[in-house]
Amino acid sequence: MLLALVFCLGQQLCCSAEVTAAKGLSWWSLQPVQRPAVPGGELGKDNPIDRFLSVSRGVQPKPPADRRTLLRRVHLDLTGIPPTPAEQEAFLADPSPDAYRKVVDRLLADEQHAVRYARHWLDVLRYADADERMTAAPGIHLWRDWVIRALHEDLPYDQFVQVQLTGRRSNERTQMSATGHRSQREPRPGDVFALGFLSRGAGSDPQELAMNAVDTISSTFLGMTVACAKCHDHMFDPVSQTDYYSMKALFDPLVLRKMTLASAGDLMAAGKAQAELERQRAPLERERDALLEPIRRTLYDARVAMLPPDIQTVIRKPERTRSVEEQKIADDYFPILRIDGDKIDEVLTEDLRKKDRDLRRQIDDLTQAIRRTNAPVIPVFHAVEADPDRAREQRYILTSADPSRSETNRPVRPGWPFVRGAIDFREGRVEAFADWLTSPDNPLFARVAVNRLWQWHFGEGLHRQPSDFGHQTGKPTQPELLDWLASELVRSGFSLRHIHRLIVTSATYQRASESEGALKPGSTEAAHHQHDPDNRQLWRHPVRRLEAEAIWDNLHWAAGLLDVQVGGPSFEPGERSGKGKSTQSATTATTATTAAKRRRGAYMTRGFSTSREATPEFLRTFDAEDGRDPCPMRTRTVTAPQALFLMNSPEVERAADALAGRLRADAGNDLPRAVDLAYRLVLSRPPEAKERERSLTYLANDPQRLSRFAWLLFNLDEFIHVP
Amino acid sequence: MSPDSLTRVPHNASAFDRRQFLFRAGGGFLGVALGGLWAEAGEIPNAIVGPHLRPKARSVIFLFMAGGVSHIDTFDPKGNAHAGKLIDAVGFGDNLAAMKRPVIPCHRTFTRHGKSGTPVSDWFPHIGGVIDEIAVVRSMWCHEGNHFPAVIETCTGHRGRQFDHPSFGAWVSYALGSENRNLPTFVNIGRPSSPVQLTGGYLGAGVSATPFQAGPTPVPNLHPPEGLTARERDEQMELLESMNAEFRARHTLQSAIQARTQAYELAARMQLSAPEAVDFASEPAHIRSMYGLDDRHTEEFGKQLLLARRLSERGVRFIQVCHAGGGNGGWDSHGDMKTHEPLCRATDRPIAGLIRDLKQRGMLDDTLVVWTSEFGRTPWSQNTTGRDHNPKGYTSWLAGGGVQGGLVHGATDDVGYRAVENPHYYSDLNATILHLLGLDHTRMELSALGPVSRLVERGGPIREILA
Repeated sequence: MLLALVFCLGQQLCCSAEVTAAKGLSWWSLQPVQRPAVPGGELGKDNPIDRFLSVSRGVQPKPPADRRTLLRRVHLDLTGIPPTPAEQEAFLADPSPDAYRKVVDRLLADEQHAVRYARHWLDVLRYADADERMTAAPGIHLWRDWVIRALHEDLPYDQFVQVQLTGRRSNERTQMSATGHRSQREPRPGDVFALGFLSRGAGSDPQELAMNAVDTISSTFLGMTVACAKCHDHMFDPVSQTDYYSMKALFDPLVLRKMTLASAGDLMAAGKAQAELERQRAPLERERDALLEPIRRTLYDARVAMLPPDIQTVIRKPERTRSVEEQKIADDYFPILRIDGDKIDEVLTEDLRKKDRDLRRQIDDLTQAIRRTNAPVIPVFHAVEADPDRAREQRYILTSADPSRSETNRPVRPGWPFVRGAIDFREGRVEAFADWLTSPDNPLFARVAVNRLWQWHFGEGLHRQPSDFGHQTGKPTQPELLDWLASELVRSGFSLRHIHRLIVTSATYQRASESEGALKPGSTEAAHHQHDPDNRQLWRHPVRRLEAEAIWDNLHWAAGLLDVQVGGPSFEPGERSGKGKSTQSATTATTATTAAKRRRGAYMTRGFSTSREATPEFLRTFDAEDGRDPCPMRTRTVTAPQALFLMNSPEVERAADALAGRLRADAGNDLPRAVDLAYRLVLSRPPEAKERERSLTYLANDPQRLSRFAWLLFNLDEFIHVP
Repeated sequence: MSPDSLTRVPHNASAFDRRQFLFRAGGGFLGVALGGLWAEAGEIPNAIVGPHLRPKARSVIFLFMAGGVSHIDTFDPKGNAHAGKLIDAVGFGDNLAAMKRPVIPCHRTFTRHGKSGTPVSDWFPHIGGVIDEIAVVRSMWCHEGNHFPAVIETCTGHRGRQFDHPSFGAWVSYALGSENRNLPTFVNIGRPSSPVQLTGGYLGAGVSATPFQAGPTPVPNLHPPEGLTARERDEQMELLESMNAEFRARHTLQSAIQARTQAYELAARMQLSAPEAVDFASEPAHIRSMYGLDDRHTEEFGKQLLLARRLSERGVRFIQVCHAGGGNGGWDSHGDMKTHEPLCRATDRPIAGLIRDLKQRGMLDDTLVVWTSEFGRTPWSQNTTGRDHNPKGYTSWLAGGGVQGGLVHGATDDVGYRAVENPHYYSDLNATILHLLGLDHTRMELSALGPVSRLVERGGPIREILA
C-alpha cells in the first residue's frame, strides 16, 4: 500500500502509463511458471531445494545443526510449542535415518501446527476481532476456526482460497437433478464460516466490502498492489483503473448476511422473552407518551413558527403533497425542528418530570430484568451473499476512490486485469474470478503462496516483498527454486503440507545457525559473510526471534500453564481462559486447573478501535499487528518495553512461580535435577556443565529460589530466539 | 550492515531495499541507516539527523484538547450581531451539501488581558493572566470534519490511515532523539482520541510514544515484583548478562540479539529514573497550587502538566498531553456549550500554572507549549445550544520556545465559520513546531519514499508569530 502511494505520487515522473503497462506484461512474475529441471542430474535422496541452492551458492554452507537445536527449531517453527523432555530424549535415542522425518510427520499432523500457521495466514488475511465500523465482529472467530481446520485437513490451497471467496469448493457449486435441472448446491457444513474473510471488510458503505476484498485479495493471493489503481492507472504494473473497478464490480453485489447460530429452542425462548417484555412494557409506554406528546407538539409548533413564512408553508404541508424541491427544504430543516428528550425535560414541571422519570425507570428496570432472566444471548455470524438488485446495478469508476461520492461517467464491467475478452459468469462473478485466480496457469497464485511458506520458515521469502511481485520490487534471489516450488505446489494438488515438508526436510533448513567466527578475519564464517552478508543463499540458518504469540505460548508451556484447546472465541490476556463461552466448553470445564491456564496466543484478541485500545499491550509490545490491513511481514523491534515485560510483568512472575512449582514437584529437593529439567523445559536442552554449576551456585541449596531461577531462564536471549 | 539488523521498516514497504531506508538530512542523503542506531555500544536511539537550523525550542509540550474546542467561546470573540440568522453553510468532509444553519448566540464575556490586550473568554481567566506569553492563531483550518479522520490528518500530516504514517511526535523523536538516556524521547500523557496519536508508523515502534501516567506506575511493568530487593535484581541482571554471553558470542551476526543488551539497559535505567520523574514529593506546596493540585476540579490535569514539566526538564523531547480523550473526545459539545465549562475549568489553572512555572524556571525560552484541538466548532447548532464540528476555521495557540507572545494572528469571518485572514492549513502549525525545534520541514522526509513520507506536505512555518 505504501508502495502504491509512491506510485501515485511518482505519476509525473513517468513517461506514459500505457507504455509502462504494456512493458509490464513482460515482467518475470507474470510469465507462466515453467517447471525448471532440478540441477545435478539424478536426485537420489537429495532434496531438490538443496540442489537449487547449491548451484547458486558460492560458499560452503555451515554443517548441520546439532540434533537438539534442530528438534527445538522444527518444533517451534511447525507448532510454536517446544519438544517435551521425553520427545527430546526419544529423538536423540532414535538412530534410524528417518528419525527426523518421523518428527516432521508427527508435527505436521499435529493440530497445533494448523493453529500456528493459521496465525501466519491470518496476518495476510487481515483477521481482526474488532475494527472501525466492523459489522461482522460478532462470530468472526469462527472464520479463524475454519482456517485452522482447513490447514489441519490440508485443504488444497486453491480450495482454501475458493471457499473463502465463494463459500464453496469449486467442484461443488451446482448439482443436476434427475430431470436435468441445475441448481445451486448447499455448501458443506462449516464452510460458510470461511466467508468471514469477505464479511470482515464490510463497513458503513456497502461498496467498502468490495474495495476491501479487492485490496486484500490482490495483495495476499496475487502479490499485486492494485490499490493505487483506485485513483489512476498503475504506473509500473499492468493494472489500470478500469481493472481495479472491474474487480470491484465482481464483489459489488455482495452484502452481509447475518446468520443466527442458536438452536431452535434458544430462539423460541428469546422470542418469548421479548414478547413478554413488550407486553409488560406497553402500558407504561402508553402512559409516558400521553404525558409527553402534547409538550413535544407545543415545542415543535413554536419552532416552526420561528421559520420564515414560505418555509413554514412547506413544513406544514403533509409529506405526500410536497414537491421534490419542497421535500429537500423540509429535510434541510429536519435537524432544526427535531425535538430531543432533553428539550422536553427542560420545560416539564417538577411534578411531571418526576412522573416521567419514574415511568422511565420502571421501563428500564423491566427491560433489564427480562434480559437477565429469560433471553439467551443469540450467537451470530456474518456471512456474505450476492444481492440480485445490486448485481443488476451498473458500476462505474470512482475517480475519487470514495464510495460515498457517486460518479456515473465511466461505466465498467465486472472483470480483472490480465484477461481480455468475454468472461463466463454463469456460475457467478466471484466464482468466475476465483476460478481464474486459483488456476494452475495463474503465474502469480502459486508463486506468491510458496514464497510465503518459505518466508515463514526462514524469516525472509525468496522474493523479499511477499505481497508485491510487481515491477518495483526486483527479482527473487533464487528464481528457479521459486518456480520449481510453485510448480511443485500445483503438481501436488496444491498441498501446502507437501511444501512445508519439502522445506523443513531440506539440508538447507537443517543447517547450523552460528556465526561466531564471522567477525574474525580469516575464519570460514568471515569468508561466507563477506561473500553473502545478507545470507541470501542461506549458508547458515537465520536465527529468528519468536513472534508475540509464540513468546506467550512458550512462557506458559514451560510453566505448565498452556491450554492448547483448539478453536473458540478470542480472549483478552488479562482474562483467564475458560471464562469466555467456548465452542468446546466441555473440555475447558473438565478440571479446575484448566481454568487457571492460558490459551494460545493465536486466540488473543486484536483489532482497531478509536474509542479503546483493541489490541492488547502485550501483542503491540512484541510487534503483532492489529489486523487492520494485510500484514505480509511484521516489524521487528528490540525495545525497552519488551524487556520490561519479561523482567517485571505479572505474567512472567506467574509463569516463573508455576515453573518453580513444577520443578519442585518433579525433583523435590534434588536441585541438580531441577536445574536439568528447567533447561529442558525452557530451552529444550540440558544445561552445560558450566551452566549447571552457575545455576546451582545461584540457587544456593534453596528450593525457594527456583522461582527466581526460572525468571532468569525466561529472560535469556536463547529463550525467545530460535537458533 | 549485517543481514539481521534491526529492521524498523514498514512491513509493507517494498519499493526499496529496506537497508536503504535512510533519512534525508541536509541537502543530500546523509542519512544514517537505522540498524546502526543500536550499534554504538551503550547508546540509546538518539538523534538521526540533528537540527538543520539553530533550534529555539529544546522540548515541546503539546496540549491536545480532544473533541474540538469552540474557538468562538474561548479565543475568537464574534459578538452576537448575527445570532439567530440563518447562514449559508456546506457540509464537511465528503458531504458538501449546501444548507442553511441558524447562528446561535455566544454567552461568554471576553476580557482584554495583559499588555497585549488579547481578548480571552471568561472560561479561561487564568490563561488570560499569561496571555502576553501566548501567540493566538485564529485562522487554522483542516479538511476533515469528523473526529477520527481529523485527528489522523492533524497528527500524521496525511488524510487516511492506510499508509501507516507516523504521528508528529514520532517524527520529532526520530529526527532529534532524546537528551536523556534514561527516558524515552516521545511521551504521551492522558488518554488520546486515537492510537494514531501514539504511533511510530513506518518509522517503527522504537519512536512511538511511550505512555506515561501521573502516579506511582508511570509505565506498564515498570516495577519489579513485590518482595524483590534491588540488590537481588542487580544480582539477577549480572548473572543474566553472563548467562547470555555465550549465546551472544555464538550469534555475533544477529544484531537483534546484540541489541537486547541496550533494550535491557534502557529498561533498567527507566526503572530507576521514571519513578523519580513522576514523584512529586520534591514539589513545594506553592508549585502544586499553581498547577491546581489543591482543587479537585483541576487536580487530574494539573498532575499531568506537572509531570509534563518534569519530563521536559529531564530532556524528554516531545510530551503530548491529551485532555478528555477517548472516543469523540470530551470537548465535543454538540448538545450544549455549557458542557465546555467544566473542561475549561479543569484545564485553565493547570495550563496557566505550567506557563508561569516554566517562565519562572527560565524554561519557557526553550520549551514550546502548543494548545490545539483537531478542529473548532461552528457558529450554529444542530437544533441545540451546542455547536457542530468546524474544520474550516479554528484557533490554536503557542507559547514560549521562540514564539512571540501577546500576539493575535489571522482571523475568521464575521461569525467564526471560515478562516479568511492569513488562513493556515493545520500543517503550518506542524511546520512551525519543527522550525522552532531547528528542523526544516522540507527536509523531513524519508528519502526512499519521497514526498509521500513527509510530515508537512505543503505550507510552512507561521513566520508572523516567531520571536
